[in-house]
Amino acid sequence: MDQSTLSPTMIEARALSKHFDTEAGRVELFTGLDLEIARGESLAIIGRSGAGKSTLLSLLAGLDTPSSGSVSIDGHRIEALDDQQRAELRARKISFIFQSFHLLPELTALDNVRLPLEIRGTDNPEQDARQWLAEVGLGERTGHYPSQLSGGEQQRVAIARAFATRPSLLFADEPTGNLDEDTGGAIIDQLFRLNAQQETTLILITHDQELAMRCRRRLRLHNGVLTEV
Amino acid sequence: MPLLPRLALRQLRSQLRTTEWRALLLATWIAITLTTLLTLLGDRLERGLLRESANLLGADLVLSSSRPLSNERLDSISAHDVQTTPVVQFPSMISNPAATETPPMLTSVRAVESPYPLRGEILTQPAQGQALPGKGEAWVEARILEQLGLGIGDQLQLGYSQFRITAELISSPDRGSGFRSFSPQLLINRSDLEASGVLAPGSRANFRLLIAGTAEEIGALEAQLQPTLAEHERLLSLQLDQPLTGDTLGNALAYLKLAALTALLLSALTILLSLRRFSQQQYTRSALLLNLGLNPGQLLRIYLYQLLIAWVVLALLGLATAASLDSAVQSWLSRLLPQQLPQAAALAWLSGPALGLVMLILLGLPPILSLARVPVAHLLRGDTPPQDRRARLLQISCLVLLALTLLLFLRAPVAALILLALLLVGGVLFGYIAQAMLVRVAEPLARRLLLGRLLRLRLRQQRRWHRLQSAVIVLLLTLLAVVWISRADLLSEWRAKFPTDTPNYFVINIQPWQKSDLDRFMQANAIDSALYPMIRGRLTQLNGKPIRPQLTPDQLGDNTLRRELNLSWALDQPEHNELLAGHWWDDAPELAQISVEQDMMDDLGLKLGDRLGFDIGGQQVDAEITSIRGVEWTSFRPNFYVIFSPGALESYPSTWITSFRLDGERKRLATEMLQQFPSLTLIDIDQLLSQLATWLKRLGDSSAMVLGLTLVCGLILMAVTLLQALEQRRFEAALMQTLGASGEQTRRLDLLEFLLLGLVCGLLAGLSAELTLAGLHLALLHVEPKLHPWLWITLPALSSLFFVVTGFLIRRPLQLDQCYRLLKAQS
Repeated sequence: MDQSTLSPTMIEARALSKHFDTEAGRVELFTGLDLEIARGESLAIIGRSGAGKSTLLSLLAGLDTPSSGSVSIDGHRIEALDDQQRAELRARKISFIFQSFHLLPELTALDNVRLPLEIRGTDNPEQDARQWLAEVGLGERTGHYPSQLSGGEQQRVAIARAFATRPSLLFADEPTGNLDEDTGGAIIDQLFRLNAQQETTLILITHDQELAMRCRRRLRLHNGVLTEV
Repeated sequence: MPLLPRLALRQLRSQLRTTEWRALLLATWIAITLTTLLTLLGDRLERGLLRESANLLGADLVLSSSRPLSNERLDSISAHDVQTTPVVQFPSMISNPAATETPPMLTSVRAVESPYPLRGEILTQPAQGQALPGKGEAWVEARILEQLGLGIGDQLQLGYSQFRITAELISSPDRGSGFRSFSPQLLINRSDLEASGVLAPGSRANFRLLIAGTAEEIGALEAQLQPTLAEHERLLSLQLDQPLTGDTLGNALAYLKLAALTALLLSALTILLSLRRFSQQQYTRSALLLNLGLNPGQLLRIYLYQLLIAWVVLALLGLATAASLDSAVQSWLSRLLPQQLPQAAALAWLSGPALGLVMLILLGLPPILSLARVPVAHLLRGDTPPQDRRARLLQISCLVLLALTLLLFLRAPVAALILLALLLVGGVLFGYIAQAMLVRVAEPLARRLLLGRLLRLRLRQQRRWHRLQSAVIVLLLTLLAVVWISRADLLSEWRAKFPTDTPNYFVINIQPWQKSDLDRFMQANAIDSALYPMIRGRLTQLNGKPIRPQLTPDQLGDNTLRRELNLSWALDQPEHNELLAGHWWDDAPELAQISVEQDMMDDLGLKLGDRLGFDIGGQQVDAEITSIRGVEWTSFRPNFYVIFSPGALESYPSTWITSFRLDGERKRLATEMLQQFPSLTLIDIDQLLSQLATWLKRLGDSSAMVLGLTLVCGLILMAVTLLQALEQRRFEAALMQTLGASGEQTRRLDLLEFLLLGLVCGLLAGLSAELTLAGLHLALLHVEPKLHPWLWITLPALSSLFFVVTGFLIRRPLQLDQCYRLLKAQS
C-alpha cells in the first residue's frame, strides 16, 4: 500500500451505482456517480432523509460493495481487496464519528478510545488514548462509563476515538444530530480544529446547511444525482 | 372486546417479532414446563418411593405390640376410613415329622388372614396369585425346605399341628422388624393358630395391625395414635422407625427439592432479565401512549393484560409439553425402576402454571410500574429514565416475595432457605472468581497476541454477562458432577470402607448349653469370632428413683426407653468399641458396674457415676455407670447399649450372640453350623447390604436424572440470555469491524472468549465438586477424600464445548456491508 503516499487523491469513485432489490421491485439509489476527493479536503454531502447519503458514505468508506462502478481509497481499489485487507485499510486510514456516538456501554471512556488502537495493534494504546482524551478536554474523566457522561461528552470521546488512530480519512455521519445547538456547535469547532491540525480528509454527512458551509466543498445528493453546491 | 384487552392483544401480537418478548415467552414457557415436569416427577417419585417403602412394611402404617391389641384400640382405628389386617408373628421351632432324626429348626412364623399384605406382594413358587395359605397349609422359605429336607407337598410339624407345604416363599413384605425379619420365615393361616397351641399367654409374640389408606387418613390416624401408645406398643410408619428406607426417602426428596429449586431460580432469573430488557424497549412506546391520552392506570392494565394473555397461552403450552416430556421420562424410568411409577396428584399439574403466574406478576410488576410512570419527555430526550428508590424497593420486595413463594412451594422452608442462600452466595462467589480468573488468563495472552489485547477489552465489555453465565454453569456442573459421582463412587467407597474382615454373618439364639459346642465348632473350622451373652432388660430407674419422671418428654420418646434393651456382660472391653470416658471395671466394686453407649448417655442426659436400675425378668438390677463407649453400629459386630461387669448378670437366663466372616467356599460352614445347631438363627449380612446397595443406586439414578433435567433447563436458559445479549454483541461486532477489525478477527475473538469462559467454568466446577465430594467423604463416610482427575478434564471440556457450540449456534455472522446499516439503525 506504498503508492498511497504519492496520490493526491484520497477517494476516487467511478460510475458508482447502488440499487436494492425489494419485493416491490428494484430501488435505484443512484447510478453512474463520479466523485473525486482530494487529500486533506473537507467535503459535506447534504440531502434530504432517505436520499442515500449514508449508503454513499459506506460505499466511499469501503464498508459496502457498489452494484457497479468502483471506489479507490488512497489509491487502493476496494473491489480488489479481500476482507482482511479492507479491514487493515480501515484500521490504518479510516475513522468514523456517528450520530449516536456508538460507545460501548460497559467500557470506560479510556477503553472506548483504546479499542481502535488495540485493533490496530498500536504500541502504547493506553498512553495514546489518555492523550487524546485530554486533547478533547476529558483528561479527568477517563474512568467514566458512557452512561456517566453527557451527550456532548460522549461525542467528544467518540471524536478522541476517531482521531486516536491518526486517520487520513474521517467520516462523520450527522455528528451533531443528537446534540443541542450549543453543544453541537462546540463539538463541530473541536472537530474542525482537530481536522485542520491532523490534515485529515473529512467527509461530513449532514442536512444542516450551516454545518455544511464550514466544509470547503459541498455536494448535494438528490434523486440519485450528486451536484456541487 | 373492551379497548384495553384489545390493545394488549394487538401489542402482544406485534411484539412477538421482538427478541425481548420472544425470550420472555420462551423463558416462561420453559419455567412452566419444567416446574410442572419436576413437580409431577417429584410427586410420582415420592409416591413411588413411599410405595416402595410401603412394600417393605406391607402397609402404610403398622401398629406393633408385644401383647394382643385391645378391642378399644381396634375400634378407634376402624373408625377411620382405612383398610386393616391383623398379623401375629412369633419364633417357633418346627420339624419334619417324616424324619425324626433331622433336628428341629427355629423359624419366624407369621399367621395371617386375608387381605394380606396391604402393600406389596408375596412371591411364591409355584405362584399363588393373591391367595394366602389355606387351612392346614404353610408357605415356607427355601432355607426351611433345605434344612429339614422337605419339599412341596410334604408335611411339617408346628406345635401340635401338622401343615402341608403348598408353596415356597420367595419374597414377602412385612417380615417384621429386628432379628425376626431375618429368621427363616413361615406363613400360615391365622385360623390354624389356636389349634397349634404354640401361642400360650405370655409367649413371646408380636401382634401387628397392618393399616393402609390415603395419605391424609394415615396422617390423621398416625397423629391420633402416636400420643396414646402404651409402653408395649410401637407405631411403624414410612418415615419413622425404618432407618434404612426412611433416610433414603428423606435423601431422595432433598435431592429433588434441590433440583427443583435450582430450576426455579434459573427460570426466575431468565424471566427477570427478559422483563428488564423488554421494559427498556417499551419506554418510547409507553411515553407515546401516555402522550396520546392514556392514563398510567390504563397503561398498567394493558401490560398486565398482555402478561395474562401470554400466561394463559404459555400455561396450556407448558402443560402440554410437560405432559409429553413426563410420558417420555416415565418410559425411561420404567427401565430404571422395578415397577411403574404411580400417577401424580391432580394438584401437581397446577403447580407449574400457578408458579409461572406468580413469577410473571412478581417479576413483571416493578418494570411495568416503571413503564406506567415513564415521563412523556422521554419522547423528546430518548434517554432511559433512572430508577428511583421506590421502584428499587418494590423490585426487592417482589423478589423477596418470590423467594418466599418458592420456599413455600418446596414445602421445606428452612432447608430450602439454606440451599437458596448457598446457591446465591455460591453463585456470586463463583461469578467473581471466574471473572478474576478470566482476566488473569487474558493478561499473558494480551502481551503475546493482538487478539489477546482485544480479548482484554471484550472481558471488560462482557463482564456482567460472564459473571452471570459462570455462576449458573459452575453451580450446575458442580451439582451434576457431585450427584453423578456420588451415585457410584460413594457407594463403592462406602463398601470399601469396611475392612475386609467385616463380619457377614450374625448368629443369635445361641443357648448357654450350646455355647461350648459352638465354640469348639468355630475353633475347629477356624472361624474367628467372640460370643457375647445377651439378656433382655428394661431400664426403669435412675439413681434409685423411677427414671420416667426425671426425663423430659423428648427423652421419654427415646428408643432405649420404649423397648427392652439387649444387655450384655464382659470381662474385657470389646475390641471394636472405643472407651470415650471413665475406666473399665474396678477390681472389687460394691455395686455392679456398667459401660453405657455414648448416644444413650447423651440422649437420656446421663453422666458417669449415675446409677441405673434395670428390670430383668421381674427382678431389679442396679449398676453404676463407670465408662462411656463409642459404638460403631454399622460395624456388623455384636453391639450393646449397656455392658455389665462380670458377676452381675450371670444368674439370669441368657442367650448368646456372635458374628463372623465367611467367604467363598467357606460359606458352606454356615449351613454346616445350622445342621449341627438347628435352633440357631443365622443372619446373612451380604443380603442386607445388597438391599441397601440397590436402594442407594436407585436414589442416585433418580436424582441424577432430575438434576440432568435441571441442567438442560440451565443450558436452555443460558442460551436465552445469550440470545438476549445477541443484539448487543452484534452491535459490538459491527462497531469493531467498522473500526478496522475483520470479520474473521471478531469470529476468533468470540471463539477465544467462549473457549476461555468454558475452561474457567469447568475448572471452577471441578474444584467445587472436589471440595463438595471431600466434604461428603469426611462428613458422611468418615473416609479420606480422594481426587477425581477425570473431573478436571471432562468438566472444562464439557463446559467449553457448551459455550462454543451454544455461542456459535446463536451467533450470526455479520457481513461487512451489514455493519454500517446496523450501526445506523441504532441511531
